[in-house]
Amino acid sequence: MNGRKGSGGGGRGRSGQGGQQGKDGQRRPMFRRRKVCKFCADKIDDINYKDTKLLMPFVPERAKILPRRISGTCAMHQRKLRTAIMRARQLALIPYTAE
Amino acid sequence: MARKYELVYVVSPDATDTQVADLHTQVEQIAERLGGKIEKTDNWGRRKLAYEIGRHKEGTYVVETIDGGGELMKEIDRRLKVSDLIIRHLAVRIDEEQSVVERRRTTRTEASRRRRVARGLPPDRQPGEGQRGEVEDDDRFDMGEVER
Repeated sequence: MNGRKGSGGGGRGRSGQGGQQGKDGQRRPMFRRRKVCKFCADKIDDINYKDTKLLMPFVPERAKILPRRISGTCAMHQRKLRTAIMRARQLALIPYTAE
Repeated sequence: MARKYELVYVVSPDATDTQVADLHTQVEQIAERLGGKIEKTDNWGRRKLAYEIGRHKEGTYVVETIDGGGELMKEIDRRLKVSDLIIRHLAVRIDEEQSVVERRRTTRTEASRRRRVARGLPPDRQPGEGQRGEVEDDDRFDMGEVER
């Protein structure tokens, strides 16, 4: 359950009460859905630079690459995504910046 | 060992169709001369560029899959660089990547088939089967947590 970025409340909520947190789930103020790597979940093996439709959700407004901590993409796929985005940018399929 | 490359080039929007075809034959000739061959060509037609290149806002995209060695690609790269009509080009090697993807795909389908057979199901998925959240669009991608 406590994945790499799950349990956002882990660090904070701990300060006040001593021993008995975690039992009845009070420690966590808000439930956050666990993020899943899109490419693992959808079983997309090939992240291709020509597939703009696939890449566009990972380059929001300012045209920067969406970080892993937000998108939840796994390390391997983030790496592939990055090369794909950089290639697509060279070919003007995806912008470098928003104007 | 044969290598496979993928070449994408963006032709200036001022170029006529014959000029685009000309470029294609030029590439083909170079490939043939250096012992390679073009496996596939795909003309995407005119597309809007994501940003302006020079004064161009549009371009004609052509994708070619080429079988051949590094020498050949070097030559093609050189020629495309010189050409005025071509505003961008990119050549990447794809054979390695492709084999990896294929291998992964086959192992995955085989594994799932094996599991399904072990459970006494037909090896392929029947229509209407599948887990709940698979079909319906869930909020996996809502980026509500993005702080701006």
